Amino acid sequence: MNVIDAKSPRPVMGLYDQPLWESVNARGMKLQRCAGCGNWLYPPGPSCPSCLSCELVWTPLSGRGRIVSWVVFHRHYLPAYPPPYNAVAVRLEEGPTMISNLEGAMPGEDSIGRAVRLVYATMPDGMILPRWALA
Amino acid sequence: MSQNTTPRAARHPSPRNKRAAAVVGVGHTDWVEDWKRCRNGERPNDSYGYGLGAFRNALADAKISRDEVDGLIAGPTTAYERLGELAGIDPRWGGQADAVLAVSQAVMAIEAGYAEVVALIYGNDQRSVGTQYGGPDAMGGGAFLSYVYHSPWGFTSQGALYALTLQSYKHARGFTEAEMGEVSVAQRGWSSMNPNAIMRKPITLDDYLGSAFVCEPLHLFDYCLINDGGVALIIAEAERAKRMTDRPVFIEGVGRSDLNRGATSLEPRIDQFYLPAQQEAAAQSYAVSGLGPRDMDILQVYDSFSVHVPLALEGYGYCGIGEAGKFLRESRIGPGGKLPTNTSGGHLSETYMQGWAHQIECVRQLRGECGERQVQNARHVHYTSDVAGKCFSVIYGR
Repeated sequence: MNVIDAKSPRPVMGLYDQPLWESVNARGMKLQRCAGCGNWLYPPGPSCPSCLSCELVWTPLSGRGRIVSWVVFHRHYLPAYPPPYNAVAVRLEEGPTMISNLEGAMPGEDSIGRAVRLVYATMPDGMILPRWALA
Repeated sequence: MSQNTTPRAARHPSPRNKRAAAVVGVGHTDWVEDWKRCRNGERPNDSYGYGLGAFRNALADAKISRDEVDGLIAGPTTAYERLGELAGIDPRWGGQADAVLAVSQAVMAIEAGYAEVVALIYGNDQRSVGTQYGGPDAMGGGAFLSYVYHSPWGFTSQGALYALTLQSYKHARGFTEAEMGEVSVAQRGWSSMNPNAIMRKPITLDDYLGSAFVCEPLHLFDYCLINDGGVALIIAEAERAKRMTDRPVFIEGVGRSDLNRGATSLEPRIDQFYLPAQQEAAAQSYAVSGLGPRDMDILQVYDSFSVHVPLALEGYGYCGIGEAGKFLRESRIGPGGKLPTNTSGGHLSETYMQGWAHQIECVRQLRGECGERQVQNARHVHYTSDVAGKCFSVIYGR
C-alpha cells in the first residue's frame, strides 16, 4: 500500500478519550486534571489514580516536556509507518508520560533529557497527531 | 511518577510456603521437530494438542496416574474448561494463569488444602497460527492497554516496550550495546549444549553487534523466538511428593510485587526498570526460604527480551545498582561463569514457552538431568520474572 493512501492507526477510543482527540483536532491539546489534588491524567480515565476523586477538568497543556527515552523502528509493522521511524517517551511538564514521535530530527545519543515542544502533525490521510519537536 | 507512599521494604508479609509443595513431574513437547514442521507450513497441533502432549509426558515422568490429580491450572492460551475436558480431569480446585502465577497459585492451593496434586498445563500454537506481537493485530491489547494505546504513533510491538526500557536504562546506568550483547552470546553458549534447543549455533559478540536492529536499540538477537510447543508440571503437597518420588524438587519460597501506576505510559519500566518491585519480591522469597543470592547455583530469568537479564541481576540482588554491565562483561552468566543463567538457552535460543520451559529447566538442573549443560551439584535455582508489572521471585531447591 502506498503511504499516501495508508490509513493512520486509529486511537483507542474508550469512554473517556473523545475530549482528548477533539482538543487535538482543535490544536489545543487538553488532558483531565483532578480538581481535588491537581494530578494530571494520561491516558484519560474515570477518576484520579492519586486521590480517587471523580472531579476531573479538561485543561490545556503547556506544550512543554522532556525526552525520557526513544527508539527507532526498523521493521514495517503498520502501513502508515514505513521504517525507519522513531518513537519517543516524553515527560510532560504537567507530570504524565506520553509515547509519541519526534518531528524534524531523528533522536540520538544526546536526546534523553532534551526539552521538546508540542506540535500538531497532519498525517497523509488528514489525521491530526500530537507530536514533539526539539524546543 | 506517581507518588507511592509506603516504602516497599517495610511491607513484607510473611508467606508460610517454605517447602510446602514440590514438583514431581515435568514434560514438554518436541518443539525442535515442530519448529521444522511449522516452517514447512504444517500445523502439527493446536494449543490444546501441545498442552496435552506435555501433560502425558509429565504424568509419565512423575510415574503417577491422572486419577491422582485433584487440581488443574490451564495456561493463558487455552480455555480452562475445554482443557479440563480434553485432559479428562474434574478437579476439586482449578484456575487459569501464566507460568509463574500458576506455580504460585498451585503452592497456595496446596498450602490452603484445596488440592494435593496440581497439574499445570500450557500449550501454544503461536507460530503455526501466526500470533502477532506487533502491528495492528498485536495480541494482549484487551488485557494490557499499553500494547495498543500508542498505535496512532506507530508504537505497538512488545519489542518496542523493551527497546524504550533498554534505551533509558543505558542512559541511567551507562550500560553499553556490547554489554547487552553478552546476554544473547552467553545464552547461545548454553543452548549449543541443549538438544532441546531450537537455536544451537554459537554466536560471537561481533555477530551480535553486526546484526540488524529490529526496534533500535534492540538487535534481532535480543528478541525471543516465536515457536509452537507445550509444557506441563505436576506439583504435589510436600509429604505426598516425598512418597511419590525420590527426587522431589521443592518450592522453597515465592515472592511477588507489582507496579501498576503509570503502566500504560510504561513509567514503571522506563523510569524504574521495575527495580522496587523486584527488590520487594526478592526480599519476600529470601525471607521465607532463608536463602539469598549467594545460595543460588543457577538463575533463570524470564527473557522475552535480553534486557530482562541485567534488570534481574540488579533487582534480585546479584550485583549492585549499575553493576550489571560489568557483571555481564566479565562473562559471569554463560557456561563456566560464576552465575549460570538461563542454562537452557532461554526464550532467546531454546524455546519461547512464555516462562513455562524455564520452570522445567529449574527442575531438571536440580535433578541433575541436563547432560552437557548440567551445572554440577546444583542445590538451589532462582526463577525471576517481571512481566506487565508483575515481579516474581521463585526459589527451587532439592
